[in-house]
Amino acid sequence: MRPMLTLALGATLAATLWAQQFKFNLEHLASKASDSFDVSLNTSMLRFAGKFLDSKDPDEARVKKLIVGIEGIYIQSFEFKKVGGYAPGDLDKVRNQLRAPEWSRIVGIKSGGESENIEVWVRNEKGKVTGVAILASEPRQLTVANLVGNVDLESLSDLGGHFGLPKMKK
Amino acid sequence: MDWLEQELAKALARKEPAAGFDGRVRARLHRRPRWLAIAATILVMMGAGGEAAWRQHRGQLAKEQVMTAMRIAGSKLNRVQMQLKGTEQ
Repeated sequence: MRPMLTLALGATLAATLWAQQFKFNLEHLASKASDSFDVSLNTSMLRFAGKFLDSKDPDEARVKKLIVGIEGIYIQSFEFKKVGGYAPGDLDKVRNQLRAPEWSRIVGIKSGGESENIEVWVRNEKGKVTGVAILASEPRQLTVANLVGNVDLESLSDLGGHFGLPKMKK
Repeated sequence: MDWLEQELAKALARKEPAAGFDGRVRARLHRRPRWLAIAATILVMMGAGGEAAWRQHRGQLAKEQVMTAMRIAGSKLNRVQMQLKGTEQ
């Protein structure tokens, strides 16, 4: 029974690692953070969740449409009470995995007196977008996201505007 | 024979059962108790209801996770877009 269980767990872990396009290695920050969000949603979970999204709700309808091309969502986000909750090296370990030719950084911004950094990386395979990585850091906040599949960045950004933040004027 | 003997003889006299008595007894012996069927039905209904409630709970949880994940990713991209737009202007 035990070998079967080990095999099943191994297969599950392998499937998870395969679906996620790079490792976060940020678990050690959870105990230091005052607030954290850790989500791993593979294709089947996304399809399952999609059935519960209400098409009559404008936000849920947008998300429902957006997740059609997405095969996985993996996000770890941490908030700290004090500055220095994470080390710059934590983000470097993630960044070092995003190598060319698959990965390319499409944009990187620094704002708020260079206290806020956001990098958006895109994974291309045979001319097709197959994944997005978002690395966002503030003195007391760290977020790493990996969206697997064909991600509509424009729609996702618009969604961010709808979710409380002011929508960008076009 | 006094009255007592007569009463005893009458009470203990052999009587033939009504027609079909044997068949009815056998049928009842083979019939499952009704309470067992009711209990089984209740258990199945409880199981199905529990399964549906559990599925609903998991679905709502997954939905909340997707919404929060999209909220986080979307807000970061929106910040980038706003910053780029600000730089252009």
